[in-house]
Amino acid sequence: MALDTRATNSTTGSARRRPRADRKWTRRNIVLLTVGTVLGLLTIFPLLWMVSGAFKPEDEIWNMSLLPSSPTLDNFIYVFTEVPFLRYMFNSFFVSAVVTVAALLFHSMAAYALARLKFRGRETIFMVIFSTLLVSLPVVLIPTFVVVRTLGLLDSYAGLIIPMIFNAFGIFLLRQFYLGLPDELEEAAMIDGAGYWRIFWNVVLPLSKPILSALAVFFFLANWNSFIWPLTITANPDLRVVQVGIATFQQQYAANWNYVLAAATVAAAPTLLMFFFFQKQIVASIKTSGIK
Amino acid sequence: MNGGLTLPSRRSVLRGGLAGAGALAAASALGGCGSPASRNDPLEFWNFYAPTTQSEPDLKAQNDWFMDAIGDWNKANAQQIRPVFIPAYTEPTNTRLATSFASGAGPDIFLISPGDFLRYYNGGALQDLRPYMSQEAVDDFPDATLSTRAADGGIYAIPMEVEPLAMFYSRPAWEKAGLSEGDIPKTWEEMLNVAEKLVTPKQTGVVFETTPGYYQNFLWYPWLWQGGGNVVDPQSQQAAFSSDATVQALNLFGDAISRGVAPRTVPAGGDIPAAFQQGFAAMWESGIYEVSAFNGRAPDFDYGVFPLPTPEGGRPRTCLGGWSFCVNSQGRNPDAAARFVVETLASMSEKSIKRLTKWCSVAKTDMPPRKSVERRMAQMGVFDDPVMRTFHEDILPDGRPEPRYPPMLYKSVSNAIQGVQQAGGKATDQADVAHQAIESFLTTYEGGSLI
Amino acid sequence: MSERTQQDLAGQGTTVRRGPPQSPRGGGTRAAPPRGKSSNARSREKRERRAALLFLLPDSLGLFTFVFIPMVLAIALGFFSMDGFGNLSFIGVDNFIRMANDPQFWQSVRVTLVYLFVLVPAIFVVALALALLVQQKFPGVGAVRSALFAPYVISLVVVGLIWQFMLSDRVGVISRMLAPFGLQDVSWLGNPQLTLGTIIFICVWFQMGYYMIIFLAGLQDIPAEYYEAARIDGTTAWQRLTRITLPLLGPTSFFVLITATIAVITGGFDLIYIMTGGGPAGATSLLIFYIYEQAFLFGEYGYAAAIGSTLIVVLMLWSLLLFKLTRGGRVNDGS
Repeated sequence: MALDTRATNSTTGSARRRPRADRKWTRRNIVLLTVGTVLGLLTIFPLLWMVSGAFKPEDEIWNMSLLPSSPTLDNFIYVFTEVPFLRYMFNSFFVSAVVTVAALLFHSMAAYALARLKFRGRETIFMVIFSTLLVSLPVVLIPTFVVVRTLGLLDSYAGLIIPMIFNAFGIFLLRQFYLGLPDELEEAAMIDGAGYWRIFWNVVLPLSKPILSALAVFFFLANWNSFIWPLTITANPDLRVVQVGIATFQQQYAANWNYVLAAATVAAAPTLLMFFFFQKQIVASIKTSGIK
Repeated sequence: MNGGLTLPSRRSVLRGGLAGAGALAAASALGGCGSPASRNDPLEFWNFYAPTTQSEPDLKAQNDWFMDAIGDWNKANAQQIRPVFIPAYTEPTNTRLATSFASGAGPDIFLISPGDFLRYYNGGALQDLRPYMSQEAVDDFPDATLSTRAADGGIYAIPMEVEPLAMFYSRPAWEKAGLSEGDIPKTWEEMLNVAEKLVTPKQTGVVFETTPGYYQNFLWYPWLWQGGGNVVDPQSQQAAFSSDATVQALNLFGDAISRGVAPRTVPAGGDIPAAFQQGFAAMWESGIYEVSAFNGRAPDFDYGVFPLPTPEGGRPRTCLGGWSFCVNSQGRNPDAAARFVVETLASMSEKSIKRLTKWCSVAKTDMPPRKSVERRMAQMGVFDDPVMRTFHEDILPDGRPEPRYPPMLYKSVSNAIQGVQQAGGKATDQADVAHQAIESFLTTYEGGSLI
Repeated sequence: MSERTQQDLAGQGTTVRRGPPQSPRGGGTRAAPPRGKSSNARSREKRERRAALLFLLPDSLGLFTFVFIPMVLAIALGFFSMDGFGNLSFIGVDNFIRMANDPQFWQSVRVTLVYLFVLVPAIFVVALALALLVQQKFPGVGAVRSALFAPYVISLVVVGLIWQFMLSDRVGVISRMLAPFGLQDVSWLGNPQLTLGTIIFICVWFQMGYYMIIFLAGLQDIPAEYYEAARIDGTTAWQRLTRITLPLLGPTSFFVLITATIAVITGGFDLIYIMTGGGPAGATSLLIFYIYEQAFLFGEYGYAAAIGSTLIVVLMLWSLLLFKLTRGGRVNDGS
């Protein structure tokens, strides 16, 4: 598994003067490799330690060896029999996926209007939206809770999903991206007689694929990992999400670290696997998010 | 992009937006009004025992006890009750209960600890249960178990258990260090010396709670009281925190860490049976609830219990914790809820006494909150068990109920404990700062007495 | 999308736009339509405005309901005393006076400032350094990049658990690995002098990979020719870094600073919640956690709202400052 950034790089014109330099075992390469390997291993060590702990029996959990001497699946079996983790994972997945899709659609619509359409008050609207960029949930937790309760969304998927869709960050990034698109695109479409929705849907959205996939990663991860909101507004165990499930599990099995680590591994696995299989796309899209 | 997926949520957004236009209707909701659910819905009983799927024997027994109590009620009454398990209920950082009350959607019945009592009582959220109890039943509760739940002639919560604090120790660890029963410390100095002998690279000598919170305060009060100290004088209701007893008790926690015999964070996440089994700790100040934890998870482990040692010239004191049932006075059917609570825990009926006896002896191992239950347990031989006997005979008589201080007081005390224990601050300074904060708080305080 | 909406959005759009081609740096503002509007142009304008409003509708409603109303409520509540049980009374600015005299509040402000002003630069420097490393071509560089990025995909709850496990006093793997250096008795999460630093370290570990990738993209956009030329001129690596790389990374750096600031301000809560509960001795009591504590633990909703609304105002002013700095919310200065 390796992050290959060359695919996206090839078109940006940063031609390398010395091709295949990376294949040579020069002293420079050996030094770089050593430094890189050490840093990389240090970075993933906590993750390896978690996974290894999840396979250790209880009496080995505090020993210093990375490889369990008698690896066991008991911890996972225990976790899955004690707690409906699959249900939690489904909930997290469902909520994250819906929020991501809805947020991408709404934000790109709003951003399209703010970047490409002309109307009075546009800059003001954007400034008002932008001014909420740093206002985050814990600060407004109680009033948000009240609003959600007033709408009758407590203890429901809707309550988990809808309030999480809206934030200034996505609009901000997408608008940024749309400002950079050349005008000719729409003009061609306009000549063809296309309306705004068709331009948006058929021209702008397809062009936004890289930034949309970057934001999709961002939103999905943020929602998969969100904790305080689901903790606050749901009591129904059928609605429990992974992060709340695992925090609760840890509070009940505080000292059974072999179980806690197995649960943590289960909670981390989907996003880790997603990363390993799609890392090329993920990395490529993150790279386009910021600065184009 | 799947438009189909987004549609329903978009419609709800539109609806939501319109409903939200009645924006400051939300403000009135903040003011707390009735629950939106209809009257015929089951009453919600929020707790941290049931329903749960877990198979640990102790957790299962506790779950079953709750399910039985509720099931029996539901069989006999039209107004149904539904248990709702709240994750991390006892964590002071959990928002669930507070948020629901703040938005006027509090549960009908819930569990409450002494530390939270005054906040809910002063807010007018608790239903008086006294009218539902017979005089005989009131008299069946010793004063020590009801006093902190009573105010202005009413009784606002019914205790389900009495949980005294003691020192737990690991016999294997003691044996390894060449210690025996004869070395059980009577004074603080002896306690720290014994702890010193028990320290190994892996094992800490003694554990005092380290995480700031109600729980740490609860575990610290006995050391304060042993020297005659107090946070608030129960008679005069004036701040009494600036005292030698306070300084000495604060220093106990601080010295234990600076002498290297106590840890800065609790080992094994606070799970004492596991910590003892794995050899991470040799002594630990905790409550009687550990007995059921040992029974359930480490039934063969050899541990002992002794009363908290006292300072030079002090007297034995311990703190009596325990949770109680209470009823939301703004709930949907406070009358039925109150009848449920009293019938379950505080009726003179055979069923009620039997039920509570079961909780204190089988589901959990606790000291009984009622005299009749205590007699029953004695007959059953529950107190013949050496650990339970120590609790019943040597520890319980020196107990004082956990104080019901409002959050501001709790926080001032907590800051002082943390400031000395963790930050190494000077105990006299910390005591003075807290004393002043308590004093200024009390000048404007109105509400139930601070006992 | 309802049919009506579809129709409204589908303006006829037969008018060909005139006016000079737009550059992205034109503020995103299209050039004014030609003077002396034809009725055709005017109706097009109307249609465009209508379409724009419809495009903005879902997000506007959502932001209004779930961001603005809560903000306004939070600010309004700051002027009330409120116990969380329906007892509400107007007390003017008393909460704000109390705030000014509350040492715990100022302690939280201090913790928050330290956290912010150490963590953001730390993330910046570490991410840039890593990007400079993995920008090089060497065997296995792809694997190294993956490893450095991996922590970012884990949730903060899990991050909190892993580090709690590894940092357990005495028996945790870190204490034992540090034992040869005499550090086995250091309590990384229990000593108030160290805890905030530990949390910051974990945050850097968690976030560095993400910003590394963003820097990497920025670095790869710098033409290699610049470096070649500089090399021929006999410059040192340090000179190339300060004279070519850093200046040309300007827009990227700005983007990283903004997004890292957002992430740091809005994140962090989960980690504190799981790992320290604001302790020991208030050492990790971030403002955001103090508000939470006042509201949910102490039932001081009015007071919590007062602190919260102060924070909201500061954050909004900060956002507007960013807005100005970015000349209307654009990261790229286009130069």
